[in-house]
Amino acid sequence: MADVHHQLRVAGSRGAVRLEVALELSAPWTVLFGPSGSGKSSVLRAACGLLPELDVSFQRSEGDGWVDLTKTPVHRRKIAYAPQGAAVFTHLSVQENVGFAAASNTAVDAALALFVLGAMRTRSVRGISGGEKQRVSLARAFAVPNARLLLLDEPFTGVDRRMRDDLLLRMQERAEAEGVPVLSVTHDVEEALLLDADVVRMEAGRITGRGTARLVLAEECARMRRVLGFEA
Amino acid sequence: METSALVLTLRLAGLTTLCLLLIATPLALWIASENSILRKIAQATVALPLVLPPTVLGYYLLVGMGPASGLGHILVKALGHPLAFTFQGLLVGSVIYSLPFAVQPLVVGFEGVDPGVVETARVLGASPWRVFQRVIFPLARMSFVTAAVLTFAHTVGEFGVVLMIGGDIPGVTRTLSISIFDLVQEMNYPAASRTALALVAMSFFALLLLYARAANARRSQLG
Repeated sequence: MADVHHQLRVAGSRGAVRLEVALELSAPWTVLFGPSGSGKSSVLRAACGLLPELDVSFQRSEGDGWVDLTKTPVHRRKIAYAPQGAAVFTHLSVQENVGFAAASNTAVDAALALFVLGAMRTRSVRGISGGEKQRVSLARAFAVPNARLLLLDEPFTGVDRRMRDDLLLRMQERAEAEGVPVLSVTHDVEEALLLDADVVRMEAGRITGRGTARLVLAEECARMRRVLGFEA
Repeated sequence: METSALVLTLRLAGLTTLCLLLIATPLALWIASENSILRKIAQATVALPLVLPPTVLGYYLLVGMGPASGLGHILVKALGHPLAFTFQGLLVGSVIYSLPFAVQPLVVGFEGVDPGVVETARVLGASPWRVFQRVIFPLARMSFVTAAVLTFAHTVGEFGVVLMIGGDIPGVTRTLSISIFDLVQEMNYPAASRTALALVAMSFFALLLLYARAANARRSQLG
């Protein structure tokens, strides 16, 4: 087991959900898995510092100590974030979106290439499809310089399966090459299995399971096999 | 038409617009982000000049800026003269009188910006100023045009406040709307009607500009 790189504790009510989460991130890629409304997105948003009404504590391992980010302003947390619903900047072109936080043109070009957006770089994001917006949002997050944590909220909404499978592995490769740990949110079993990530299962605001994808998602795997006709 | 009155009116309206955009932008940002009772109190206060007779506003400003009041006393000490019956006094009055015309469109504009987009920009490392400059301002730019045009046109057309605190001094505080009043009192109807027509034309073109811009913005959003 790798060293813990982030510690997050979130408590408080968000709408109908009462959150009570203590999470230690150690894997290069951790997946928060759970049904809609279980509070997964709130956990990511709390880490970003976007939910000041909740009781949150957030630490990052730096060098040989811990840095407390709980009171750090949102824009100084060195987090790359691709939120649910893409939240692209509708007044900017594809490449301007990707370059929003980027430090260099090289970083923009690399992110555009990673997410197969090169051909549409000069187009306005108003005219592109939902899946393409999602890729713009991911590319924008991957172009953030000096990020220490990558947060991806339902990153493949509207992206077709083949593209997703392809992107997922390339994203994993890129994140590991740059040494940036990832915490992603999904309710898609396949996504978790493909990544072979550390899976944290969330239900109704609480963590109800943790381990490798195959272990934690055994029930879902069995159901999938039944659906596909492998088992009676 | 008196050229000095025209120049004065345009100068007053231009400076009022400039001052108001600077004041109204942070105020509207705060109102749009706030959700407590304070927001309602602020909105009601900002909207007051809409419903008050301009003479009431002018009266309070005249008394407030006069040497008899505490504030007026400080102003006299600081400036060496009272603010009433000066161009600066007129500017202060115009800024307060047109406040709702600048704040309201900006509040609507800021509320129309997707909060998710603003949050994302912050997380991606943009400082509050950069978020405003790169995200909020461009997304709400039509509201700035609306606020500027309405403020300008409304200042050109104001009468009661200007008369109360300006006192109709030629070249200093006599604006076009007041010069019409003077001309009518002098029974100089031809000159009054020329000035009145000029004001109608100015206001009409300001509003035409506004609606043309709004239609363009809608088209480009659809396209």
